[in-house]
Amino acid sequence: MEFEMTKPIPETQPWSEKFWEGTKQCKLLIQVCRDCKSKIFYPRKFCPECWSGNLDWIEASGKAKIFTFSTAYSMVEPKFMDELPYTIAYVDLEEGIRMMTRIVDCKPEDISFDMNVEVLFHERNGYFLPYFRPTGKK
Amino acid sequence: MSKGKIAIIGIGEVPTRNMPERTHWDIIYDTCMEAVRDSGLHKNDIEGVISVTPQAQPKIAAELSFGKLPEELGLKGCKDAVSVNAGGASTSNAVRLAEQWVTSGLAKAVIVHHVTLHSTIPVPDLINFFAKAGVDLQWEYLYGTTYNIIMGLMANRYMYESGCTPEQMASVVTALRSWAAKDPNSFFYGKDVPSVEKVLASDMLNTPLHKRESNVLGDGGCAMVIVSAEDAKNMKRPAAYKLGDSVRYFSGTCVMRDFNKVAEGFRVTAKEAIAQAGITKDDVSLWNCYLAYPLAHPMVSELLEVAPAGMGGKYFLEGRMSFGGDIPWSTIGDAPGRGHTGSGVSSACYVETARQLMGKAGERQVKNCKYVYQNAGGGSGFNNIATIWGKEIK
Repeated sequence: MEFEMTKPIPETQPWSEKFWEGTKQCKLLIQVCRDCKSKIFYPRKFCPECWSGNLDWIEASGKAKIFTFSTAYSMVEPKFMDELPYTIAYVDLEEGIRMMTRIVDCKPEDISFDMNVEVLFHERNGYFLPYFRPTGKK
Repeated sequence: MSKGKIAIIGIGEVPTRNMPERTHWDIIYDTCMEAVRDSGLHKNDIEGVISVTPQAQPKIAAELSFGKLPEELGLKGCKDAVSVNAGGASTSNAVRLAEQWVTSGLAKAVIVHHVTLHSTIPVPDLINFFAKAGVDLQWEYLYGTTYNIIMGLMANRYMYESGCTPEQMASVVTALRSWAAKDPNSFFYGKDVPSVEKVLASDMLNTPLHKRESNVLGDGGCAMVIVSAEDAKNMKRPAAYKLGDSVRYFSGTCVMRDFNKVAEGFRVTAKEAIAQAGITKDDVSLWNCYLAYPLAHPMVSELLEVAPAGMGGKYFLEGRMSFGGDIPWSTIGDAPGRGHTGSGVSSACYVETARQLMGKAGERQVKNCKYVYQNAGGGSGFNNIATIWGKEIK
């Protein structure tokens, strides 16, 4: 029985590449619409609010609160088993964006709802994934 | 959409089991022939075939999409065949398409069916499929998420906000399995019903989901024959009439799903479908909820106003939704009780809805079953479709 063990990298679109370029410089970029001022996540080809193509990017503060989380102990894909246990969360950025991420640099039992977290970047095959850790933790 | 234009007049089903020796076509023959016989029609009366697309089974999906079923079963009167795919919401859409065919005069009688054989799919393919289906490959999959984790994220937040306890959550499994133990088509037919303590003692997969709160994959299939409500009435046979249908779209990507919008969607679709049917919530005899995981049941029982806000878990723990309880609920035990047949769980739920309204549910028969709420959702929960079915049409 052979399992695919290569960890995934983002399946990008041309309009999301800027986001991933930003992460290489430790910047968490958010797409914004110059016309209707919407903050857009995930990045789109056109603004999902007004269909404008007049889009720009701003750098997020990287600060967020945990909306919800789940810590995995087993039954994940074999390619991720070496990382168990790990915690996946939805975090709400100060800019009003919700992202899926990993919570790292703390014990699973110390993670709580509405906990303040900050972004860090985790390298995987040339991409840098936004992870979050408790604020002030180095 | 429409009120009282179609009815299910025949059903067929095979037990959900892991039986690789039973081929896709074995199940298709057995379920479709049983449904046609149950309807009282002749095979050549079937003028349309709609397949609920089997997930992660490209060979049979292609054969069905490209019209093999009418030829294989010798349906000489068949005018068209098609497959429908909206994940777990496929069956609802197959029924809607059947409604369009019947009401437009394209077909007088339509088979809607489903088949799945998980036991013949190589394990690595199965794991990979369920890791990626309904999960965004750029913004979610990277982090090592799974269907179980998506449910865990939702359940953890619900428990935090509502105060629902782990014991109350675990009692949902006990409730669903109590129905399954009485269902000859269930994976768990005749098996012991796990206690709350036993559920909580099983391994933690991901918080708050224990192993016994997850699903066992199985093989299975079922079929139903749909005709116009008028024809069903004239045939003077037991039937299930479609009386209401409402839907809301939430999001394709899990993280984009606004929990408040989902809650509102469940509330509104139930109200709209019930209003279309011309009944009230109190007229519903059976809440046949298809939610795939036990963790969503307490929350949805509150959204449907079957349990007061914050009391869903308590109701389950008190056994009110269990076999013998005072609130008939998911009488095949949803996916945790039936065994998970991919997009087929919702098909099995629709067949159960018809079975209950036809008075053919045996030990699980809900007394005086007149109206059933039947819902379905697709992907990792991109939508909710609420329907109301009745024993008769006014």
